[in-house]
Amino acid sequence: MANFKNGLSRRSVLRAGVAGGGAALLSTLPGTRLLAAEPAKPAEIIVRAWGGEWVDALKAGVSDPFTKMTGIAVRHDLTEDNEIQPKLWAAVAQKRVPPIHVNWDTTTNATKSALRGVTEDLSDLSNLKNTLDLAKPVGLDGYPIVNTYGYVYVLAYRPEAFPDGAPTSWKALLDPKFKGRIALYNDGIGFHFPAQVAGGGKLEDIPGNMDACWKFIQEVKAQEPLLGEDPDFTNWFQNNEIDLACTISTNALAAKKNGVNIAWTVPEEGCKFDTDGLWVPKGLPENELYWAKQYINFAITKDAQQIWCNGLGLPGVVPGLTPPADLVGDPSYPVKPEDFEHLIRISNKVQVENESVWFAKFKEIMQG
Amino acid sequence: MNNPTVDRTRFRYPLRWRVMDSLEEGASLIWPRSLSRHTGWLLLAPALLLVGILVLGLVQIAESSLHTLDTSTYLPSENYTGENYLTIVESATYLRILWRSLLGAALTVVFTLLLAFPYAYILVRTSSALVRKGLLVILFLPFFIGQVVRAYGWLIILGNSGAVNEVLGLVGVEPIRLLFNYPAVIFGLVQYMLPFAVLLLAPALTAIPQEIETAAGSLGANWLQSLWYVVLPMAKPGLIGAGLVVATLSLTDFAMPAMLGGGSQDFIANAIYDQFFRTANQGLGSALALVLVAIGSLIVGLVFMIFGAGTLGMGAKK
Repeated sequence: MANFKNGLSRRSVLRAGVAGGGAALLSTLPGTRLLAAEPAKPAEIIVRAWGGEWVDALKAGVSDPFTKMTGIAVRHDLTEDNEIQPKLWAAVAQKRVPPIHVNWDTTTNATKSALRGVTEDLSDLSNLKNTLDLAKPVGLDGYPIVNTYGYVYVLAYRPEAFPDGAPTSWKALLDPKFKGRIALYNDGIGFHFPAQVAGGGKLEDIPGNMDACWKFIQEVKAQEPLLGEDPDFTNWFQNNEIDLACTISTNALAAKKNGVNIAWTVPEEGCKFDTDGLWVPKGLPENELYWAKQYINFAITKDAQQIWCNGLGLPGVVPGLTPPADLVGDPSYPVKPEDFEHLIRISNKVQVENESVWFAKFKEIMQG
Repeated sequence: MNNPTVDRTRFRYPLRWRVMDSLEEGASLIWPRSLSRHTGWLLLAPALLLVGILVLGLVQIAESSLHTLDTSTYLPSENYTGENYLTIVESATYLRILWRSLLGAALTVVFTLLLAFPYAYILVRTSSALVRKGLLVILFLPFFIGQVVRAYGWLIILGNSGAVNEVLGLVGVEPIRLLFNYPAVIFGLVQYMLPFAVLLLAPALTAIPQEIETAAGSLGANWLQSLWYVVLPMAKPGLIGAGLVVATLSLTDFAMPAMLGGGSQDFIANAIYDQFFRTANQGLGSALALVLVAIGSLIVGLVFMIFGAGTLGMGAKK
């Protein structure tokens, strides 16, 4: 955050561009030649984003510097990712110009769009060569999406409920004293894979045999969990409704920043590790497509990533980023290969192909 | 006043008449007088257009419901199939959610009418203008607050650290989980529906002359008998109208189950949302939507057949 507080100098932005190389936007060409090579600039580009601390971080790390550098205003559309999806699909199917230029999306959702063929190919982004393998979507050809950071579905807990130290297993959810005081996502996202391990199953059996997962979720159901979405977890911790939850570390971090006494851990069974990314829908005019791609190209420069990902408290996809001081060594901020040992990463393609089935099974248990 | 004859040469038409004449002339250019017998249809046209668009939407939803989702491409299948409907019928989850929604709507109707009737009765019968205005203000205030905000208000009031539990804490009672269960959803729905029901009941009660109740009393009926044998039967059109509106709104409600149900008390609308926006399965979502429309229409049709349309029939005979 230090960089943001001091403000980004034009020099540092250009330095970021040089590091990326290639693209005219970020090249070292003189300004006149740069302008000659660029397609016409739109007055603005529209980027779909999540609200609150999520969009604040994107604005500080990517959108504002991009505007400063290019003169193109960036408007953030805070429509939910699930709700913009059918609009984009309909626009592409009807050959209309899509309502946004860049979609900030979960990789799982974005994979659905990629499978449906509504994403532009981003393989030619010059800064991709400076990124980690994490930037590449697993199970898809090329780069219909560029992953921009990873995150962990941690076991968040109220420290006063655990005077002897952090819970070491997801089985803590089954402790009778927490009946009615635990929470999961309302579609079970983030919980299936650790539940498979906690239930005595093997990760290799996913998706073929997930009996262990469903058995464990049945046991959790008996504990009367609350089921919600990102903002609910913060509220529930804040209002003393819950003691334990499976949630994204960013939400736990945000709650902590808001004064909620909350901690988180990666239990011995492991935690789901997933990614979010950026993609461009098909159907944009050529010049707008170019600048939308340049926005993503800029988002994976080291300077942009440093501020954006620090704002989210998440590890980015370029090497050499400095973690926020309070997250150094935190299990939800994996940096080294050994940090990933307890994290579970399953191909997004496998996830989207089985999502409907898993969702139906989770609902069957939880709505009972 | 001395000369009542009108000097026609000096008579000046009021400005309003001139404006109306001009408008009438203008209108006759667009809609000639020869078509005046069809004017009723002209006035109906916007409503027909609106219904037509809704029907068109339903046809598209029906078409969509006959395609399954191919999860390898996330495109709907090419062929037509009734598989989505089969999924609903064979799914214990959806049947449970359907039953929960129907029961929730029925309970909401009963509790809402029980509360709305005395409220509307006092509103109509009170001789105090102050009381009437007070009741109207209390009735209309919630209308200015959206459903989501109201539900959020209940989260604050009924939460573990909310006002109710704080009061209970003062007398040594441990916090009780008042939220995130079925009764909490019904409670939220009743609170939301109460103003609608009162507003639909009040005209029906106003139409019952107070003298009839007086007459019943003079013939020996006590208050309870007068209510049971005179007022309630005469208020039936209002009760039916209010019941229908509350039932249909409750059956299709999304926010209260989502916010006060803690994620485990879904109604059909929540299941439809999940299919459209969470799993991107528009075919199954469409099938669920049509099932909801069919069930709602069936209930309304049955009530119309058995009891008539109540105040919704605008005075028409059964």
